Amino acid sequence: MYLLKIAFRNLFQKQQHSITRIISLAAGLAFGILMLSEVFYYYSFDSFYPEASRVYVVQSNARLSDDNAEMDVWDRTSGAIAPGMKDEVPGVEVATRLNSIGNLIFYTADQKSYKGRCVLADEYVYDVIPRNMLVGNAKEAMLKPSNCIISSKIAASMGDDAVGKVIEFRKYPGVQLTVAGVFEALPENSNYKYDVLISMSSIAQFFDWDGSTNWLGNDRYYSCVKLDAGVNPKDLAPAIRKMQEKHQDIIKLEQDHGGELLKYTLIPIQKVYVSRIQGMVIILSTIALAVLFVSLMNYVLLTFSSLINRAKSSAVYKTCGATANDLKKIIFTESFVFFVLALSAALVILMAVKPLVENLVAHSLEATLNQYVLWPIVGVLIIFVLLSSYFPGRFFANIPVSAAFRNYKQKKNKWKLGLLSFQFIGASFILTLLVVVTLQYHKMINADHGYRSQGVYYCSTNGIDGSKLNMIMNELRKLPEVEKVGMGEEVPVYQQSGNNIYSQDGKKDLFNIADFYSVDENYLSILDIDVTNGRDFSTSGINNNDVFISKKCAELLKIHNHWEDGVIGKEIKVSEHQRSTIKGVFDDFIIGSIVEPDKRPSVFFYQSEEGFIRQKEKYPSMEFKLLVQAKTGMEANIRNKIKQVVDMALPNKDAVVRSLEDEQFNGYQAQLSFRNGMLAGNVVVFLITIIGLIGYTSTETTRRSKELAIRRISGASISDLIVNFILELQYLVLPSLLIGLGLAWFILTKWMESFAQKMPLQWWIFLLCSIGILLMVAIIAMIKYSRIASRNPVESLRYE
Amino acid sequence: MIQLNDIFKYYDNKFQRSYVLKDFCLNINEGEFVSIMGPSGAGKSTLLNIIGMLDVADDGEYFFMDQPAHKLSDKKKVEFHRNYVGFIFQAFHLIDEMTVAENIETPLIYKGVKSKERKAMVADLLDRFNMVAKKDLFPAQLSGGQQQLVGIARAIISKPKLLLADEPTGNLHSDQGKEIMKLLKKLNEEEGITIIQVTHNEEFAQYGKRIIRIEDGMKKSDLPVATLLEQV
Repeated sequence: MYLLKIAFRNLFQKQQHSITRIISLAAGLAFGILMLSEVFYYYSFDSFYPEASRVYVVQSNARLSDDNAEMDVWDRTSGAIAPGMKDEVPGVEVATRLNSIGNLIFYTADQKSYKGRCVLADEYVYDVIPRNMLVGNAKEAMLKPSNCIISSKIAASMGDDAVGKVIEFRKYPGVQLTVAGVFEALPENSNYKYDVLISMSSIAQFFDWDGSTNWLGNDRYYSCVKLDAGVNPKDLAPAIRKMQEKHQDIIKLEQDHGGELLKYTLIPIQKVYVSRIQGMVIILSTIALAVLFVSLMNYVLLTFSSLINRAKSSAVYKTCGATANDLKKIIFTESFVFFVLALSAALVILMAVKPLVENLVAHSLEATLNQYVLWPIVGVLIIFVLLSSYFPGRFFANIPVSAAFRNYKQKKNKWKLGLLSFQFIGASFILTLLVVVTLQYHKMINADHGYRSQGVYYCSTNGIDGSKLNMIMNELRKLPEVEKVGMGEEVPVYQQSGNNIYSQDGKKDLFNIADFYSVDENYLSILDIDVTNGRDFSTSGINNNDVFISKKCAELLKIHNHWEDGVIGKEIKVSEHQRSTIKGVFDDFIIGSIVEPDKRPSVFFYQSEEGFIRQKEKYPSMEFKLLVQAKTGMEANIRNKIKQVVDMALPNKDAVVRSLEDEQFNGYQAQLSFRNGMLAGNVVVFLITIIGLIGYTSTETTRRSKELAIRRISGASISDLIVNFILELQYLVLPSLLIGLGLAWFILTKWMESFAQKMPLQWWIFLLCSIGILLMVAIIAMIKYSRIASRNPVESLRYE
Repeated sequence: MIQLNDIFKYYDNKFQRSYVLKDFCLNINEGEFVSIMGPSGAGKSTLLNIIGMLDVADDGEYFFMDQPAHKLSDKKKVEFHRNYVGFIFQAFHLIDEMTVAENIETPLIYKGVKSKERKAMVADLLDRFNMVAKKDLFPAQLSGGQQQLVGIARAIISKPKLLLADEPTGNLHSDQGKEIMKLLKKLNEEEGITIIQVTHNEEFAQYGKRIIRIEDGMKKSDLPVATLLEQV
């Protein structure tokens, strides 16, 4: 208490830079804690499952093309793999598989609509990844067809009596499920999220073909296994291979394809999420630690400066019988008080910017309040407090008593320069990062994706009565703002499902393609995708099921099939499709986003508008998209008008019209968030660096006031003195800049590794960032030094 | 009590060695009141710092209460500071963020005296120095003389055997200075505290029993005050 009391009083003493220290520390802590908690949050995914350390997700490792040396890895398998492992792999205690059918709109009998992620699951789901059941029995519910259980969140929106209600999906008219239970909603840090669990035995109501017992292909099942205690997942490889040999005829497949083709590995469920964003985790951790380190160094620098003013009190304590440890305790208590105040201020800052932050990180901040985030953060903060008090404490305890009683000034300023250099490293590192990330972001959103997105709108046909489609198309065409209307099953802004192109004899797969399925005669022209070889869909002589392939696909077909006379007019067989005739070739475009583009060749199958309408009338649950191209300059309010037209065919008038441009832009949300994070980090680091620089120049002007005065008396002009001091600082800044730029180059190279289009890391970017930092240092130094340099030298000497 | 044998203190510059104390010998018995005089830079304060174990000699031997102070560990020196040595400074050196009472109490905290006992001892001393009304004031709220009184109170609260005063009246006007000197004399005579003071003031030096004059780090004279007065 005694030390605390003294520490609090010290806060209000002159020359303690208390407010400055607290502000810079709070800014650094707010940003550092936020970034670090984000990293720890990623690591907390799925840790809430009981005995999560024994739960593993089955990953497929497959070579998608014979030419491909590397295996692609993804955490989905065929339907039979999970139950197969349970039955045939010793060490697997229990297994389950889930099959997502999408984020669907569904209705209750009272026509109220709800939306939720719907997943088919077998009866073992809660034996492996359990949730607390609030009402009902999950195992019983998952055994019965047409049963589902819903999350507490959905149940709450349905009212008190959700159990027993019947729900019907907009996408699957006529498919009705009974709510048989309510489970505790999944927390935000779930990798595999769902709101509605549907019994796997209901699968036939959603898919024409039941793949839940399929051993090969249709790998859309999220398979999880719980291992016996103490089992090493790597030890299960031989048994898994044996299962593959038995059920997949893997040996023959490998002989046909010349080597290892498919294997299954187990990844701890707690690592699934973080394994996908390893690069982001490295960058965030680096930035968080850099900001914390810079703010720590700044705090230490300012504390040292304030302690110089208290050198005599160090000596007084010693003459009163205080040991070095007693003095360290004093500084530790003071640092602790500063830290608590700064931490409180940091929390206030975070609460103030909470909505902004939540928008940036795409989850609630409350989601990070779990033991897997809080304890590591507490650990980091404890290290922070110890470091922030250790060095100043040591310094304070080691001030020589006899020197302290005289006019104690530091003879050397190297340690200050050292601390300051860390701040310059941090500032140049994060400024360069910000500039390149911003340029890369703008390059990505402005990049030519190979198709038109501006002025293109689309709407799903989910829930639309097929008999009204013709009327909708006509109404849309009547709108004065509409240039063109078309139909297609997919749009290029999203990753596409894959299919295989077979060899001409149909005996082996040649390569995997991004399948856009059917599009009508207007689709390609709406998206401005040019057919560079062959004919356009809009020309005559094109029949349903004719195929248009990308240039990359054409090249691969030429190689595999030895087609030296081109591909036009040739027939190909694609899985899920009948034999099709190639009618045209188009330039490859970006599928998905530039960040993680789907690099596979792509194909479009032709289906006429009438064909689409007929299909929809025949299969009401069939979903495709209505595409609308707006006339140039007439986009205002067009979304609303399209919605009004489509709503005419929807009983609940709930059409959702999307802009292709917006969706494309949304594909870069993570990069935008990253850029904004960089911007915030930059502001924080610059604030800290400026404070540090001001602190440094203040103590230096005091330390060297006599020298300055003597130089003035010796004939130096004010500008001579300022230039001299600025140059001294710049000698320190230059090597720091080089280190910071080097670090930035390293991190940026890693960050951009996967991007299809990269901002070239040109020398002028680094030069401009360096000039920016040098200018900042020069301006601050000039302002600070000019005041002391212009002081009357006699006054300075008297002061001295 | 204090025995300095051939003490050297020097600073090495690039090309030469500057001596602050040169072959300095001194014996001070318990209960003495010694004034050290000399021009600025003569080595008075350095001598006091060596005697107070705040600084170490580069050569020579120093025995404090028959203990070889030149060989003592830092821990042992702290023990001596806590139990046997009190310091009074020209600039008072009170701790700004502490009240009068807390400043006086500080040595007792490091000595490990219990809180209740500390409070009683501080109250007793405040009463003795007529400073009870000022106990909750901070140093900046006191006059120079009052600050030095607090400094003395802090120096004697742990009942030291040796009191080292480095120009205790240097920042005070003459009346305040006399008061402080009377107090020191009283502490020496009534409580038997050995006092070594550094001063520039001839009049105040004569409050002691012996005056040592130093020049260029060497002892020029060491005479009892009575003898000096006789010479005058």
